[in-house]
Amino acid sequence: MGFYAVQSLNALSFSMLLLLTGLGLSVVLNLMNFVNLTHGSFFLLGAYVGVYWLASGAPWWLAFPVAFVAAGLAGFLLERFPFRQFYARTHLMQVLLTYGLSVIFADLMRWGFGAQILSPEIPEALRGVVFIMDMPFPIYRLFIIGFGAALAFALWFVIDRTIWGAVVRACVTDRGFVETLGLDTRRIFTAVLVISAGLGGISGALGAGILSAYPGLDEEVLILALIVVVAGGLGTFRGTVLSALLLGFAMTFSKVWVPEFSNVVALAIMAALLVALPEGLVAKKVRQV
Amino acid sequence: MSSIADGTGRVETRPASQRRSLPVTAKLALLALATAVPLLFAGDYQLRFLAEILIIGTAVLSLDLLVGFGGLVSLGHAVFFGGAAYAAAIASQALGADIVVMLAVGIVTGMVAALLMGIVVMRTIALFFLILSLIVGQIVWEVVFHWREVTGGADGLRGFPVLTLHTGFATIPLNNGVALYLASVVLALAAYLAARSFVTAPIGRALLGTRERQLRMSALGYSIPRIRLMALVASGAIAGAAGALYPFVNQYVGPNAVHWTMSAMMIIMLVIGGVGSLYGAFIGSAIYLGIQTYVSSYTDRWQLVVGLVFVLTVMIMPKGVVAGLKAAFGRRKDAERRS
Repeated sequence: MGFYAVQSLNALSFSMLLLLTGLGLSVVLNLMNFVNLTHGSFFLLGAYVGVYWLASGAPWWLAFPVAFVAAGLAGFLLERFPFRQFYARTHLMQVLLTYGLSVIFADLMRWGFGAQILSPEIPEALRGVVFIMDMPFPIYRLFIIGFGAALAFALWFVIDRTIWGAVVRACVTDRGFVETLGLDTRRIFTAVLVISAGLGGISGALGAGILSAYPGLDEEVLILALIVVVAGGLGTFRGTVLSALLLGFAMTFSKVWVPEFSNVVALAIMAALLVALPEGLVAKKVRQV
Repeated sequence: MSSIADGTGRVETRPASQRRSLPVTAKLALLALATAVPLLFAGDYQLRFLAEILIIGTAVLSLDLLVGFGGLVSLGHAVFFGGAAYAAAIASQALGADIVVMLAVGIVTGMVAALLMGIVVMRTIALFFLILSLIVGQIVWEVVFHWREVTGGADGLRGFPVLTLHTGFATIPLNNGVALYLASVVLALAAYLAARSFVTAPIGRALLGTRERQLRMSALGYSIPRIRLMALVASGAIAGAAGALYPFVNQYVGPNAVHWTMSAMMIIMLVIGGVGSLYGAFIGSAIYLGIQTYVSSYTDRWQLVVGLVFVLTVMIMPKGVVAGLKAAFGRRKDAERRS
């Protein structure tokens, strides 16, 4: 019993990472109709920033805001050039551009941070374990669950319940209309991309405690995040949450039950899901003409 | 490239520059000359390298059928190519490495893989197709990576019998650079002609139609999944033929041959060479592998160089380097004429 409780918490902490990364990706995809495959690079950048910050001896809790700022800055610069030129292009061109950029960033980061696996020094406050039904569970993972849930909730609240969110959603529906209201939509898009990149960075800094940071992590995370977003259904917050939970639990429990073919099982579940529900878990209601 | 029916019901699938064509004999002579030049100047190592370019170029060519004509961007294309490579490598140990048998094994493997993938993937479109083909490809990679007894796991397979060609009265071993190079020239040429006849045949036109006007095509009674499935199987056959020869060039096949990064590499090659041009596949593969082989001997940052070339191509010459350079020079000529 305790074993499964701990495994479920493990799955939950991993799902939370998937959710945060996936949300960053889906915000840009849904609100700006832009496929950003450099999102994995933001994650890895955040992970490296987190590792170095925690090793530097500065206040540990600043590591996450700093990772947010670093990745957000990268996103800001990229948005200026060349993303902005590609908003109106087809998904294919966006995929090609951003995948090419992610190849460049992967190599730059391998250059700058080295090719070895870096693990962060978990701060004193988050080290150690708690006992759940006599089974040890790392406090750090509890922290990920709590922090991630808070962050995801905040994002949902801002997009769904505030006037800023309403403005952004209005941009999706009719950009020209928002312009006539005197709002600069280009600035709004910049802000959305910066927040998305920052989310990628902060999930990287959080995830480094579990996954470490190494070249190639960017692609692994990117693929999982893409699967989460697409399997969840485009344009739905709820779908992304559901599919992040599904993928997190599938990956964790297949590792417990069939360790040799864990990824095969988890991927097969997601593939079956996509075949059965091509629109994703939660399909947006659209009128077919 | 995206010009559709011009009123006569005909679809022009070739770029304008190709339309004023040379006589067939002149073309053949040029081709023979281009084939012969490396034989005179290149050593064994370079010839093997050229063979690799042509073989991977053939796989990229098959991807062009999907991306360039069907608008289907697959991130699982390495499954057809790498799967066929593994099938040929494994079959060669039991059956011997007769090139005809190997090609047959590869083509069948590629077609079966494409059919299976098609059944899974065809229900979905656009971004879903991309992700689903990626997932299917990764499942295959996981199996190849973990099934040590058959695929050699992470180490891959090496040590195959010598590739041979039975000509009726004599058996020619294809184990040197010259023979492998010539074999891949024949493969590339056959694949190019097959792909071109597919594209110009009614099925190829219909495939273009499914990309450009999906709704209209279904209104006309075409079954879009069926057209796409046929394109996928044709593409799988060509990729499989290329994959069948791949293990014998380097005497090695590893799990990377089915990994999704291999599929991504093929897309990069295709875009650099020019999507929808067919011949661009070989140019893209030559540029990519050239950078990989020659730049990596100067610096570790060859991936940076590839990435930069790719991004610049996407930004400046979205139709590929050949079309891009042609347009640039054409513009200059126009300017000269005007001045």
